[in-house]
Amino acid sequence: MNNKNKILEMDNVVKIFGGLKANNGVSFEVEKGEIRGLIGPNGSGKTTLINQITGIYDATEGHIRYKGKKINGLQPDVIAAMGIMRTFQVARVFLNMTVLENMLIPAFTQGQSNNEANTRAEELLDFALLSRLKNKPTKSLSGGQFMLLQIVRGFMRKGLELYVMDEPFAGVHQSIKGIIIKSIKMMNQDKNVTFLIVSHEMATISSLCSKVTVLDKGARIAEGSMKEVANIPEVIDAYLGG
Amino acid sequence: MDLHLFSQFLISGLIMGVLYCLMSMGINFIYGIMKVINWSMGEFFMIGAFIQYLLLESFIGSEYWYIGVIISACAVFVLGALVQVILIKPMFVGIIEAKMEYVTIITIALAIFLRNLALLIGGPYIYTPPDYAKPTQLLTLPLSGNRLVAFIGALVLLGLFYFFIKKSWTGKAFQGVAQNRAGVQTSGVNVLRYDMLAFGLGTALAGAGGALMAPIFSVHPLCGLAPTIRGFEIIVIAGLGSIPGILVAGLLLGFAESLGSAFISPSFVDIYGFILLVIVLSIKPYGMFGKAERTV
Repeated sequence: MNNKNKILEMDNVVKIFGGLKANNGVSFEVEKGEIRGLIGPNGSGKTTLINQITGIYDATEGHIRYKGKKINGLQPDVIAAMGIMRTFQVARVFLNMTVLENMLIPAFTQGQSNNEANTRAEELLDFALLSRLKNKPTKSLSGGQFMLLQIVRGFMRKGLELYVMDEPFAGVHQSIKGIIIKSIKMMNQDKNVTFLIVSHEMATISSLCSKVTVLDKGARIAEGSMKEVANIPEVIDAYLGG
Repeated sequence: MDLHLFSQFLISGLIMGVLYCLMSMGINFIYGIMKVINWSMGEFFMIGAFIQYLLLESFIGSEYWYIGVIISACAVFVLGALVQVILIKPMFVGIIEAKMEYVTIITIALAIFLRNLALLIGGPYIYTPPDYAKPTQLLTLPLSGNRLVAFIGALVLLGLFYFFIKKSWTGKAFQGVAQNRAGVQTSGVNVLRYDMLAFGLGTALAGAGGALMAPIFSVHPLCGLAPTIRGFEIIVIAGLGSIPGILVAGLLLGFAESLGSAFISPSFVDIYGFILLVIVLSIKPYGMFGKAERTV
């Protein structure tokens, strides 16, 4: 699966907000087909980093390259059109639309046919066990279902290659967490989608990701398998505040 | 007062209420998409009215007034979209603090500019376009033909607009932009383009209103002022962001003005809406259909 193709390269990325350096020269690479974990204590700059990958912010310095092409500074919709989808920690769903309509929004922007989009949406909703709610208003769903819907909505995009997730497991019920993990594995194996997952759930990240990148105080401090990084003193310090 | 006269005032209220809704719908739509209040809506109404007057007097003739309404609306759409691209979009690119304050100032300045431009071009005169229709009768009630066709025109426009937003894919994308800007943007929707379309469409509704109501309110540089005030009154009464609320509040305002004129005095017609507004706000501070705050 790891064909050594770099899909995402972070090259000395710096992000400054006023007097705060949220990212301080972050560099790492993600290979195509990988499920990469991005971990670090609160305030280590994980979300800021993925906000730059997905165009919410531009990097103050440095470059972000996707399949060799610089993407920082592009608008989020342009980045989405290149095959990068993302989820937010607080699920960004459309509360006053039905569940099915939520699913169809990414398909619409690609001009997929109604038939094609509907079939795909139904399949994914089936998989996520949300089918029976498809015509219900989204606001009637639970918090965990918001997250699940947000995640499977991203799978609606044809040509999805990189999926960036911000805390997909935070505050969701075990059974929903199971579905999310299953969907990540399925899309990774069947469609070779690359994942970059920010999470605090170490056990889940450990079982899902062969490699994790650790951030602390805006900088990359370690990279490797969960086992490897867990023994690095800097990582232990960062987490335990040593 | 006999029933005959009373029903006449009710119908008059109904007609004016629906006409005011057109204006509110435009203000509300632009706010929904961009979270920006466009204070120059009345001037787009006035421009729509002026274009219609010019078309009827010099080009297409009064019998084709309905084509004039369509052309006026399209012209105002283009103008609105241009204004958005040139003046408002720059506030939405990159992270600009207090962008809403800047945009508010821009739209107020634009209102003053357009009003004075109209004064410069057309002079301080009142132009009255020819009637769209002869006075008519609804059963036994006499009815102004102009008001009746403007009413039907406004209903058609509101219906088309509602259908477009609720049923079309572009309409769904607009709903997405209104409900969750970052969510829709990271799904691949070019929100800046939708902002432009929304500003164009919202101002086009005002322009169509101006063209439809040209024979009722006449055409002059300040003719958009009264309908704009009504438009804002309706939005406050309804609660910002509610489409059904706008229809209900629009009709209530129409009835309040019409019945107030009948029972109290027509001299205070501009005040009845405000009285209604004060009553509604004292009972429901967020408006009849408004919510306490926006969700993310």
